[in-house]
Amino acid sequence: MDWSQIIQNTILAALGVDAIYFAIAALGLNVQFGYTGLVNFGQAAFMACGSYGLGMTAQYFGIGLWWGIPLGIVFVIILALIVGIPTLRLRADYLAIVTIAVAEIVRLFVRSVKFNYMFGGTEGISNFSRDYRELNPFDPGATYGFGPFTFSGYTLITVLVGWVLVGVFALFVWQLMRSPWGRVIKGIREDEDAVRSLGKNVYFYKLQSLILGGIIGMFAGMVLSLDRGSVQPDNYSRDVTFYILTALVLGGLAKVAGSVVGAMLFWVIFVFSDNVLREITRTGPLRIGDFTIIQSTQVGAVNYMFVGLGLMLLMTYRPQGLFGNKTEMALDGR
Amino acid sequence: MLGLRFKFRAVALKTLLFVSTGLIVIGFAPSGVSGATGDEFSIIASVQNQTLVDGSTSRTPVEGVTINVLKADGTPIGEAVTGKDGLCTISVPSRDDYVIELNLSTLPDGLTLIDAEKQKVAVNRDLFTTNTKRVTFFTGESANAGASASERILQRLSDGIRLGLIIAMCSVGLSLVFGTTGLTNFAHGEMVTFGGLVAFYFNVILEIPILISGPVVILMGGLFGLLLNWGIFARLTKRGVTLLSQLVVTVGLSLMLRNIYLFQFGGRTKQLSSYSKQVNLEIGPIGITPRDLTTAILGVIILVSVALFLQRSRLGKAIRAVSDNVQLASATGIDTRKVIKIVWFAGGALAATGGIFRGLDEQVSFSMGSDLLFLMFAGITLGGLGSAFGALIGGFFIGIFVEMSSLYFPSELKVAPALFILIVMLVVRPQGLLGKSQRVG
Repeated sequence: MDWSQIIQNTILAALGVDAIYFAIAALGLNVQFGYTGLVNFGQAAFMACGSYGLGMTAQYFGIGLWWGIPLGIVFVIILALIVGIPTLRLRADYLAIVTIAVAEIVRLFVRSVKFNYMFGGTEGISNFSRDYRELNPFDPGATYGFGPFTFSGYTLITVLVGWVLVGVFALFVWQLMRSPWGRVIKGIREDEDAVRSLGKNVYFYKLQSLILGGIIGMFAGMVLSLDRGSVQPDNYSRDVTFYILTALVLGGLAKVAGSVVGAMLFWVIFVFSDNVLREITRTGPLRIGDFTIIQSTQVGAVNYMFVGLGLMLLMTYRPQGLFGNKTEMALDGR
Repeated sequence: MLGLRFKFRAVALKTLLFVSTGLIVIGFAPSGVSGATGDEFSIIASVQNQTLVDGSTSRTPVEGVTINVLKADGTPIGEAVTGKDGLCTISVPSRDDYVIELNLSTLPDGLTLIDAEKQKVAVNRDLFTTNTKRVTFFTGESANAGASASERILQRLSDGIRLGLIIAMCSVGLSLVFGTTGLTNFAHGEMVTFGGLVAFYFNVILEIPILISGPVVILMGGLFGLLLNWGIFARLTKRGVTLLSQLVVTVGLSLMLRNIYLFQFGGRTKQLSSYSKQVNLEIGPIGITPRDLTTAILGVIILVSVALFLQRSRLGKAIRAVSDNVQLASATGIDTRKVIKIVWFAGGALAATGGIFRGLDEQVSFSMGSDLLFLMFAGITLGGLGSAFGALIGGFFIGIFVEMSSLYFPSELKVAPALFILIVMLVVRPQGLLGKSQRVG
């Protein structure tokens, strides 16, 4: 077993694009779920808004790549209004139901044959990111870095831009939650009626929080699609939101550092387990006698099984995650 | 002493998770159904003739069609001719980008591709989620041949009734668990899948006919529900874990179970063997197979008996009382914990029944239940969250609505209108059709 390669992959996973877009998406989800108590199970759809905002500039509108950002924001606001207006006056689980449904429908729409001309169907959209590639000061073919931290020039630009974005959003969320707006938001999570009795319009604050978290999540989708150079509908399946949720709970809800460290740690554990299992099954299925324990095609399923188990155990035994504060994290179903 | 007890619970919970995992693993293990054969990659092409007169569910395999597989740059890799089952397998050297092409001149006379653009299908390397990638070509006679508008509507209605019965059956448990415990169970879809997959195991691997194995599967589904309650949710409630946290736990459970199914069953959809090949009975303008007719009649019988049970029997009354108001019910001497157990059992059994029916109606796959989850939620929101009758009526209606809407929407988007119902309902009458007018916010 090639341990040095596994360890290198594992270390790199903490800094790679996957950790970056998870961190950004988790920061957005944290604003909604951690701070406001809004159960958004459709963060993947908000990410798709960003990706398709970028992709559609080339596929449908034929305008410059950077128009993708305002376009994505418009998509996010529309989506947030669709899921928010009917549900934010109701109990928390209604939002969960509607967001999960909307996310699924968004995915069906963007991969449909009917709207192929807009969203590119199941193949998605590529050839949209040239403007971004031209900004890359690094040689896409060369490798940069030292020790285990090496990236190709192609990836390095996204890694740098991505971590700057993570830093900006982390600082932004941190400052925001210390502001009067943030105090109202946290108040809503703790006791909606108390905040209402202070004359605050709880409904609008929730809607603002949903949109804000969605816009942050949108950037996660953008980072992902810029790095991949393509927009793929299946990158935004329902389960992606759950993985991000797991990363968030792992780091700690309602903590800025929790989102970032949670995302890094999620990928470190995931890549380690994935690499080890793939290495074990590379030469053939692992067997005891005639009983096959695991074969290479099953590695993915085992990894995600552990993600689900991890989410259950975390919610049961350590809902505050690594950084959270247990007294602050008494999620109440209202 | 207290600490010890705590520790015992922790251990018990963990053991249970492993036991339940193990149960499923053992349940499927000897079968080796995961379908993968080492590190060989292959493309399975399927040519199906879709007869629109009988609705989109009626597909027949097309034999003798030549399929070519090319590399993305045009180098040919291989070709094969479809067999009796309309399938052919072409092995490919690696996980890579390919183009799969159907040779139009080899199609039987009178058949054309429904979507002419789909003569070539590009397969991206990322689409190889398992070692095989399945590509389906749909042919048809010229569109809508011979079907008048009213015939198509009736056909859709017949399909819709069957889907509605399945959704209604599956959602009763979801709604009752919510009513009695307040828990929104996002893992309910996995309870449906459980029924479908265990039925597959009995029916295809052990070759026991569905009529005999069905009741056993349903019983197992009920026990599975009980196990989830006993092993996880009853304990979480006792620990004082809030309902919102429990909701997140159900999400984790759904993820875990779905991947256990994927691990054991593989990513492909498979057919239950009993009654899979049947000729349509023509009842007036509607084509329906005897199998579908039987499941529809059985479905009606089951749902009516559920309704009668809830309406007439003492236990049913107790369930509705707890669902209405837990405190009041327990003050009148109803053992609420026992009722909750019964609800989990009945909900699991009904979900498993729905899974079997769905498996007979369509096919069995590891995500068959979670794909229905959103329709179940739409159904119980329409009928009223927490109300059993609401779930029956709402689910039934949603099924019909979804199938009918495919008259106007492309069938890939036919579930979208259900979302519309869900949202409109939440704006207009969030308590649902049968819910009590009370504050839900």
